[in-house]
Amino acid sequence: MSAIFFNALARMRGQILGWGLGLGLLGFYLMPFYDTLAEQQETIKQLLASYPPELMAFFGNTTVMFTPEGYLGFEYFSLMPVILGIFAVLAGSGLLVGDEESGTLDLVLAHPLSRTELFLGKLLGFIATTVGILILAWLGLVIGRNFSNIDLTAGQLAMPFLSLFGVLLLFGALALLLSMLLPSRRFTASLAGLLLVACYFVTSLARVDDRLTELARFSPLNYYQSSDAMSNMNYTWIAGLLAAAALFAAVAWWRFERRDIRVGGEGGWRIPLPWRRAAPHNR
Amino acid sequence: MEVSIALKITVLTKSYGSTQALRGVDLDVRRGEIFGFLGPNGAGKTTTIRCVLDLIHRNGGTVSVLGMDPQENPVAVRARCGYLPGELRLDDAFTVEGQLRYLNRLRHNHADWNYARELARRIDLDLKTPIKNLSKGNKQKVGVVQAFMHRPELLILDEPTAGLDPLVQREVLRIIGEARKAGATIFFSSHNISEVQEVADRVGIIRNGVVVEVAEPSTLINRSLRTARVRFRRPVDSQALLATPGVKLLAQEDGASLLLQVEGEMDGLIKTLAGFPVLDFETERPTLEEVFLTYYGSNQ
Repeated sequence: MSAIFFNALARMRGQILGWGLGLGLLGFYLMPFYDTLAEQQETIKQLLASYPPELMAFFGNTTVMFTPEGYLGFEYFSLMPVILGIFAVLAGSGLLVGDEESGTLDLVLAHPLSRTELFLGKLLGFIATTVGILILAWLGLVIGRNFSNIDLTAGQLAMPFLSLFGVLLLFGALALLLSMLLPSRRFTASLAGLLLVACYFVTSLARVDDRLTELARFSPLNYYQSSDAMSNMNYTWIAGLLAAAALFAAVAWWRFERRDIRVGGEGGWRIPLPWRRAAPHNR
Repeated sequence: MEVSIALKITVLTKSYGSTQALRGVDLDVRRGEIFGFLGPNGAGKTTTIRCVLDLIHRNGGTVSVLGMDPQENPVAVRARCGYLPGELRLDDAFTVEGQLRYLNRLRHNHADWNYARELARRIDLDLKTPIKNLSKGNKQKVGVVQAFMHRPELLILDEPTAGLDPLVQREVLRIIGEARKAGATIFFSSHNISEVQEVADRVGIIRNGVVVEVAEPSTLINRSLRTARVRFRRPVDSQALLATPGVKLLAQEDGASLLLQVEGEMDGLIKTLAGFPVLDFETERPTLEEVFLTYYGSNQ
């Protein structure tokens, strides 16, 4: 399994550097601007008051943006689930099916490793990549703190990333599960991406429209804590996100163990329903 | 299960939705033999091979590889097999050596690396070249090396010489022969029937998901149709000849020269010809390819 894990990690090193350094530089760049914002808060408050509430809903409670936590939530953490969610969806949907569609999975699985080992090696590679990206992004904020009056500790800055980690794992695992059920990686990524964006809109609009509150309870992004996590971390929500991710990953593993490895369009879209006669499987 | 059988397949069935790819494949491959698996595209060769390696799950029947069920012991089965896929795809991020070393790590470093280097040298494969720069034929060479480099007991090769130039094809056939001499069993599919005829101890012919024939190449050839050209000292009445069981007239150039098709043994024709003024008599043995085409031509 270690060979699969390190190979998966090596293949995703570009993602770690691209996403991690990009977001790290963004955080490093944003930190010193807090001082300017704090100085000009009256002008900015007037500007924000002129924006429609539906637009402002996407950024959360803007009245707190003149605190360091509020500023980072508004400028940085509010969009992270969507930005890095795209990475999670693309990585999750292609984790196994990418190799299957490229044809390399056939050769790898003809070697003495079980499907479970392959699945876990790939999944751990995805988790390590996600952690790597988040660490680089976090380091950008921590280093940028030295050029700003923001007095948040490195530990406090890490808390939103922990919450974000739960969200990313959940969407990655969901995309992985969908890839085990749907006929192509492209279709899977499109559907998972659509769900991500839909969740973002439902969660954001629920802040201004009470009728969406009940629906938003089913959105994983409802349990993303953004910069609120710095002062009041809800560990139950993180545990819930991770538990849902684990459930999706477990069902995806169950399905991967039982499905055929496709080559050149073999198989097709066949949702495994319980009343359908299953192929004999003695593993 | 008999110790002498390396691969035993019984009533193997496999469907993709409403398409039945395998309709009850029965096959025994003996230990230490080279078994050629013949069939046109879509006949079920690759599906059979992928069931044997548990890449796809069978719907029915049994498969035993070196005494183990690949669905129950997939890891143990694959540890003792070498596999060259029909549609080989490699990771473009590697060099040839990187790809081989990665696959070797998946085999828990059980490859004989000196042997791998020797194989690469023999088929003119540069280990330093990036995979993305390789032609189809050179990628196929990587596939050959990775299949053989751990000296497996059972080699499952799906079109092993596809895309290779004739010189390398010869070398690969030599490597297959050497592996057999070292005790390995080789199960390979091919479209190149002449090479199957050259190296295979036995061949199986699959048609529409069913194995329709398993025999030694020579047996198949002897059992099949052959042509006989007969020249007589003077024109003859051919009716008596054509009444011989298994004999058909293909061409009659004049009354003194006939081209006949003979099915099965020649004994009946020769005994009938004893009563004729025969000047010359020639027979032509069909190639395995002609036998193969006979199976498909008459049964498609």
